[in-house]
Amino acid sequence: MQCRSVLTRVDALRTGELPEDEAVRLEEHFETCPSCRDSLDDVGALAGALKTMTLVPERSCCGDVCGAVRDGFGVVAVGDRAVRVAFSERGIRMIEPADREIESFRARYGHRYGRELEERAVPEAIRRAVEDALSGRETTVPEVDLEGATPFERAVLTVLPAIPRGEVRSYSWVAERIGRPRAIRAVGNAVARNPVPFVLPCHRVVPESGGVGKYAFGTPMKRALLAAEGAPVEEIEELARQGVRLVGSATTRVYCVPTCRGARQIRPENLVPFHDAEEAARRGFRPCRICKPVARTA
Amino acid sequence: MMTAPLDGENLALGIHRCDPGAFERLVQRFEPSLHNYANRILGNRFDAQEVVQDAFLRAHDALTRRYDTSRAADLALKPWLFRIVRNLSLNKRSGTGPDGLGRPLQAFDDGRIGPLVPPCTVSQGVEREQEREALERAIAKLPEDGRELIVLRFMEEMSYGEIASVVGQSEAALRGRVFRSLKLLRDALSDNEVRHAM
Repeated sequence: MQCRSVLTRVDALRTGELPEDEAVRLEEHFETCPSCRDSLDDVGALAGALKTMTLVPERSCCGDVCGAVRDGFGVVAVGDRAVRVAFSERGIRMIEPADREIESFRARYGHRYGRELEERAVPEAIRRAVEDALSGRETTVPEVDLEGATPFERAVLTVLPAIPRGEVRSYSWVAERIGRPRAIRAVGNAVARNPVPFVLPCHRVVPESGGVGKYAFGTPMKRALLAAEGAPVEEIEELARQGVRLVGSATTRVYCVPTCRGARQIRPENLVPFHDAEEAARRGFRPCRICKPVARTA
Repeated sequence: MMTAPLDGENLALGIHRCDPGAFERLVQRFEPSLHNYANRILGNRFDAQEVVQDAFLRAHDALTRRYDTSRAADLALKPWLFRIVRNLSLNKRSGTGPDGLGRPLQAFDDGRIGPLVPPCTVSQGVEREQEREALERAIAKLPEDGRELIVLRFMEEMSYGEIASVVGQSEAALRGRVFRSLKLLRDALSDNEVRHAM
């Protein structure tokens, strides 16, 4: 073995990283070449001296870096309804019922926003908006930070507050409202992924086919939220069972979605049920300007 | 399959799951090493601090938003962090590519490395400080890739396999380069001694 190839292996020999056969050949070489043998000690001495030569930063970046990836969260409760609210400096970012596992809340928050959560006092404006939403009171316009949502999701979510308290609208109504009347399924997905339920009222969106529909936190909670806002839950379900999607007034010849505040003033004897907008139009009714019922074609 | 966790904790997985304090522990554990690495590559502690901060933020983003659970769980964390710092450092430093160690071995004296400081010397006080300064100057004279290898091999005490995964070269090539770096270091130290003696 030549000195040159021995010397390039001396350092690996020192730490026992050489394959057995190479190590043996190096040892053999050392017996006839004291100069290479000495190099092993020299490398060891240099290695020992270098080990202590680390440069340390003047100031640790730990506080800055950790602070840069941290948002706050806290619990807001009204009666026996409690939610966990996470927020950035720009607004509310995620909400879920407080009885769910905190670990999965942290993880989902991290995967969505790339941030960690630390428990903090909930800012007053956010606390008030969430309390209003939970108690079914008229909601102050909440600060919501929808970073990370796609433009489509953002469009769907920001239209939700246009559904008045105590009323419901269908997924196709939302689809029509954002100018994507055929994207009903995508609207359903976007509503289901709403990171800030209660505050952006996804519970006011119901399936066209009937009932109050599914909810991320269970149908009973959806019914309870709607009832707390004054929505006629049983009536909604009953109309859906009868296949009634729209109602008209025999006196004004205007048709509405059943929970529109205009529709709810129609006297029972004047109420005309419709299956869809075509039927209403055929019978000479015009759509309400307040609830803007969807021109749904079956 | 899980990699053996350091100190009984898989930090990468902890950060992926957003366990409270996991990221902070990562920063505390690796900041000194990564700072030294970046500082030795860049030769400037301010740029090094910037690079290391940026590297931690990128690592956090990757672990929380981009990597799935199994990728985070199986990650070889230390070489991965060093790779991030390396890429950011090389992007940051101005000028051309690495110089020096790519030259063929013949360009170097093939002789033994020669004694540096006798390993058992009980040098103290002033003498010891002078040795450190001499060594510091010698390291600074090394080409960039030489400084980098000295850090990874002798300060971080990485195996050749680990170094290969950080810098992306074969172990055989790295052994040659480490030897050349030591040789250059030794030569710089001798020059120094000569100057001191005069």
